[in-house]
Amino acid sequence: MQEIIIGIGVTALAGALAAVAGAAEDTESNIGSQGDPNSQVQLAPQMGYTHRIYNKAVSGEPPAYTLWVTLACGIAWAFMMLHVNAVLAIIFGTVLATFVQGIYATTAYLGRTASLSKFGQPVFIDVLKSVTTVTMGHAFVAIFTTVTACYLMATVLNHPFSLPLLGIVWGLALGAAGSATGNPYYGKERQYQNQKFGAGVPISASGNIVRYAEAGQRSSIDNGFFTAKLGGPASGLCFGLIVFFELWRTVLFEHTWNGWGAVVVGVVIILLFAILDRYVEKWARKNYGPYTAEA
Amino acid sequence: MSAIAAKPAGNAGAFQPVASVIAIILAIIFIGAAYFLGSSGILSGGAMLPVTTLVGIIVGAALIAFGVHFVPVGGAPAAMGQSPGIATGVAMLATGAGLAGLFGGAWAASLGFGVALAGGAIGGGLMMAITCLMVNISYVYGMGIPAASGKVEKDPITGDSQAEYKSQGTEGHGLPFISYVGGVVGGLFGGLGGTLIYIELLDFYTASFPALNIVGEGASALAVGLAGIFAIGMFLVIAVLSAYNITGTIEGPHDPKFKRFPRAIIAAICASGICGLVALLAVAIL
Amino acid sequence: MSVKVEASHDGIPHEKVMAMGLVLALVSLYIAVAGSYAGYDYLAFFGGIAAVGALIWGNSTIKRLCSYGIGTGVPSAGMLAFGSGVIAMLFAAKLAVISPFLVPIAGLIIALIVGLILGWISNSVLNMKIPVMTRSIAELAAVGSLALMGLTIVATGHITFTQITSFTLDILGITVNMYDASYIGAGIIAVSFMLGAIALQHPFNACLGPGEKQDRTNMLTIECGFLSMIVMAVISFAFVSMVAAWISLIIALIGWYWSYKKYFALSKRDAAAWLNAKPFSDAEE
Repeated sequence: MQEIIIGIGVTALAGALAAVAGAAEDTESNIGSQGDPNSQVQLAPQMGYTHRIYNKAVSGEPPAYTLWVTLACGIAWAFMMLHVNAVLAIIFGTVLATFVQGIYATTAYLGRTASLSKFGQPVFIDVLKSVTTVTMGHAFVAIFTTVTACYLMATVLNHPFSLPLLGIVWGLALGAAGSATGNPYYGKERQYQNQKFGAGVPISASGNIVRYAEAGQRSSIDNGFFTAKLGGPASGLCFGLIVFFELWRTVLFEHTWNGWGAVVVGVVIILLFAILDRYVEKWARKNYGPYTAEA
Repeated sequence: MSAIAAKPAGNAGAFQPVASVIAIILAIIFIGAAYFLGSSGILSGGAMLPVTTLVGIIVGAALIAFGVHFVPVGGAPAAMGQSPGIATGVAMLATGAGLAGLFGGAWAASLGFGVALAGGAIGGGLMMAITCLMVNISYVYGMGIPAASGKVEKDPITGDSQAEYKSQGTEGHGLPFISYVGGVVGGLFGGLGGTLIYIELLDFYTASFPALNIVGEGASALAVGLAGIFAIGMFLVIAVLSAYNITGTIEGPHDPKFKRFPRAIIAAICASGICGLVALLAVAIL
Repeated sequence: MSVKVEASHDGIPHEKVMAMGLVLALVSLYIAVAGSYAGYDYLAFFGGIAAVGALIWGNSTIKRLCSYGIGTGVPSAGMLAFGSGVIAMLFAAKLAVISPFLVPIAGLIIALIVGLILGWISNSVLNMKIPVMTRSIAELAAVGSLALMGLTIVATGHITFTQITSFTLDILGITVNMYDASYIGAGIIAVSFMLGAIALQHPFNACLGPGEKQDRTNMLTIECGFLSMIVMAVISFAFVSMVAAWISLIIALIGWYWSYKKYFALSKRDAAAWLNAKPFSDAEE
């Protein structure tokens, strides 16, 4: 019984950590401009729109976060082998992973921007300095919380995978959840703020991203506080729910019906989410209605 | 996946009968090789254990390749609400779901084969169910955009008409219910296939270790580590090959590209045959 | 909306880059293996040099392959390379039972075979019709295998299956074999895997565009290789002797700093303008 109570506590903690991780991950990738919306940042100078947006084309968010989290897990493990306290070891691992993240970010920005020289896109050193450090700060939060959640799974919940393997699994899930939920909000809503609300960006408008802020020219930091309103928390909720339910159904129902309890509960949760999704879809159709020829 | 999603050179989506037959023959040769290596004592467990393990791996890979085709991925245009689907790379999203399933399956491995497989499948499906829901919530409540498919007139499941909910100048946006179901089914298949590969490898390594004199402290952890990294590596290979097959983006099971899946399954059978055989040889008795 | 993948016309042809990378990787691997065979782990840092060599080769291959447009992002190619490379590399490590000197060359050949089959599948079964596909996937698998071997040597000082699957510890004079604290048992191979996969795809992915220059991309490849080596050198403190780990770390830091600085200079050379706290001037408004 006590084992289950501790398990529930750890489940809740891991879920909360994951929620923080998801929110920080999405904000980080939007400030750095990573993933699919970055194609527009890359495209804009070619269409004649010079800008001051960062261009963190390390790779898609899932592989990038897999690397940062796995890296931090591996280094944390190495420090624990050297008899460093676990919390300190995780921090060391996260610091080094954040360092690697920052280096990759700068090389991506410099590389992509320098290769756009034909279109007159300059390299902005002040952007490099200010944005890189901000993304590193958010990356630190995202990596630290994910690694801590992985550590809890490995030690308290006794998952058979070693720490770096858990890092691959949850780093990838973090990147996938964050990019899936957060990308449209950054790509459509922020980059194309000048387009109609409540409609997709017409393909003809591609490349014409918003380049001016409330005052002066927009840099990527201005995107962070915007997407932190909805994209970030939604990503956090997404990743937090994934981690929480994945652990919760196993911790509580693993011993029901020889393990089939966890499976049945999983099916019920999936059906509940499907019903919710159908409700959201119908709600949108009813309240927004079809698009008319020209509103 | 990233900024580049250039059009493929000349991918008509046609089925290649000759190459497919050769691929199947190759896969049979790999299974035969496993039988030969098992019966000659190079692989432990006698003649049949390597064969059943390899067949399990191949079935798992085929399930992954099939599952990837269900996952609705819109790539870069989806991030601008220009095309339906999830705004990320197909290989990585499918792998994310598959590994989340692998996490659940590996955890339940001690409870038996059936429970582990079901747990893996549910893990993958759950990850996709939550992700797809949050995608729609973000579209509907964050940006005021309803879901609409660009490839079909009516949602095959709900019968909702799609065309008038598609905003001007786009190919659709969000996840219509058919795409949602596709995502969940894709996650289920991915988690199932990944877990199957993992468990087959784990059982084989556990059975082989005593012959290699790997016993005692942490031998089971070593088997988990080996099987885990091989399962992840193989999952990535199959997912990337399947992503090549659908050339980056797909709306779900109603997309015309979905009909290309037999090709990917044959590719997965052949690819996992060679990768699986080499993975078994990593614990050969030399 | 998709950006066209454009590769520069290379100053140095692919075959030459490939040969240089391959020779550098194999020679360094053999030096490291010889050191490990003789019982010294001070030469472990040569594994990092081997990884750099392999990545230079792989980067050139990725550039050739991706200039055709493979339908999905550049990063997937890195994943494919290391997914097949890790399988080949572990089988090759097993062959150390015969002789440790067999491992590097066996890893290369096994990876080439696996890669050839995967490449043929992509090109013929999946009907991608890219002329260099079969060869490129084979090369990438070989690069994945070589780079993983290199990073493994940096971390553990060894490449044999026995030594990367067990960790010996002396407790009160009794030697205990701990499998769960080994390179594979503890999953550190996952770190090498991801480090290599991202380092392989990053240089071309980061530098692509109409102004891509071969020397700048290659410098970034070297930088990525040394950056990966720094991480593995830090992890190696858990496996190899203190002195060997410090040697690896210092060499990695020097190599990384040098290449990072060079890369900055080359970017400055190629950039349209290098502005500090200045706005862009908009010609249209």
